[in-house]
Amino acid sequence: MTRLWGIVLNWIAVGLAEDIPVGTVVPRRVDGLDLAIWRSGLGRFHAWDDRCPHRGMRLSHGFVRGEVLACVYHGWQYNLDGACDYIPAHPDLTPPKTICANTYVCETRNQALWVALGTVNGDVPDIGDRIPIRSLDISCGAPAIARYFDHPQDPLIVLRGKYDLAIALQPSTSRSCFAHVFAGAGQDKKIVSRYVEKLRDELEAA
Amino acid sequence: MSDSSKDHWYPVGLLSDIYTPRQTLLFDQEISLTHDDTGFVVKKSGGVSLPTIERFGHLWTSLGQPDHDLFVIPEADTPGRHLVDVGSVKVKCSPLRAVENFLDIAHFPFIHTDILGAEPHTEVDRYKVEIREGVNEVWATKVKFFQPQAAKSAEGGIITEYMYRVPAPTCAVLYKTCPPRPKEWDIITLFVQPLTEEWCEVWPWMALYDDDSTMAEMVSFQQLIFMQDRSILENQIPLKLPLDPGMETPTQADMTSVAYRRWLKRIGYSYGAQMVAA
Repeated sequence: MTRLWGIVLNWIAVGLAEDIPVGTVVPRRVDGLDLAIWRSGLGRFHAWDDRCPHRGMRLSHGFVRGEVLACVYHGWQYNLDGACDYIPAHPDLTPPKTICANTYVCETRNQALWVALGTVNGDVPDIGDRIPIRSLDISCGAPAIARYFDHPQDPLIVLRGKYDLAIALQPSTSRSCFAHVFAGAGQDKKIVSRYVEKLRDELEAA
Repeated sequence: MSDSSKDHWYPVGLLSDIYTPRQTLLFDQEISLTHDDTGFVVKKSGGVSLPTIERFGHLWTSLGQPDHDLFVIPEADTPGRHLVDVGSVKVKCSPLRAVENFLDIAHFPFIHTDILGAEPHTEVDRYKVEIREGVNEVWATKVKFFQPQAAKSAEGGIITEYMYRVPAPTCAVLYKTCPPRPKEWDIITLFVQPLTEEWCEVWPWMALYDDDSTMAEMVSFQQLIFMQDRSILENQIPLKLPLDPGMETPTQADMTSVAYRRWLKRIGYSYGAQMVAA
């Protein structure tokens, strides 16, 4: 749950599915919390604390090997449940079940990637048949952005308009957001992208 | 701060660099290094002079009241060794994280791939760790690990033996099998200057039997190794070293690190340490 909105937020957007190819891991920050988002060889998305339980190394620096995520520091391997199932320094050891990465519920819906930091309650937000445009940083807090558009403080800000825009906000810190932008089917990505950049400049100037 | 952290000697510069005045930090405080007819002068920003020791190619000082001399490395004095000033690297991490990483061998195959280790040779056998009471130092002995290329002359991999010694909270000495002289140990040290609790300057120093490599080659080898380590050290969360168990999970291969953390706690060393689980 993020505290920034003054309400309980179940789902927080963390990216566009297409930006995280199969077999890769990326860092994402939500409300000051560092997450490692990775996509297994079979294409499933996972959101974990960006911290190996062994020595605190960022798991987003690790590497995906099929259906496991391996920490770059000592090669400890974590399975899809977050449990460590291989420690290279002790190849014959079955790691205790207590060695486990901290995991969160992570879902994709229509090309958007969502994470639930608290208890899941309610459906994954629906962006409809819109297409993903891009993600961009905005130096502006999430509540301020919602206010600017005179929109309720929802995880998904639906603006509609000429491009049928929907913006999923990922509050990175109290003063910045990563905005994941979607537009109506058939819109030109380049044109919408340029429009969104202008929108960002207006927001940051406001 | 009521702990013992300041009452130790810390490296603050190279003796070979005497003509370059240096402004630096020690425990968040600005200090200056200059050189006059009498030798090195280290001062706090208010002008107060600090004690100095010249040893291992480095200038050492202290902001507190050390009740002991700086440690010695008698093996480094044997003739025929090349004494290598590597220089320094600044790292955004706790000085204690830098030392702990230096004591760790299990990362060799993953971080120093094909240099100090290589898959599938990842297993760490049990070794011996102790806190030597008389000298109050942490020692790990009988540490053995597969090394793909231990020396330029070595064809293929060999099992290399190591001993690790922590003679001071931010200093570690590695004794390593010396291929040209099986009865001697090469000596590689890591001297760490605490700039702040989450920023340090690392001064590696070596005393090697190596007649094949030039000084420049030995320096660049050690710098390469440390650059690889830095990619880890600046990305551990938290940047400080957690001393309380529970926040991180050691295994048998981490016995040296476990002893190091326990020893720091026992001697009341808290600078750069995270005492309460976050």
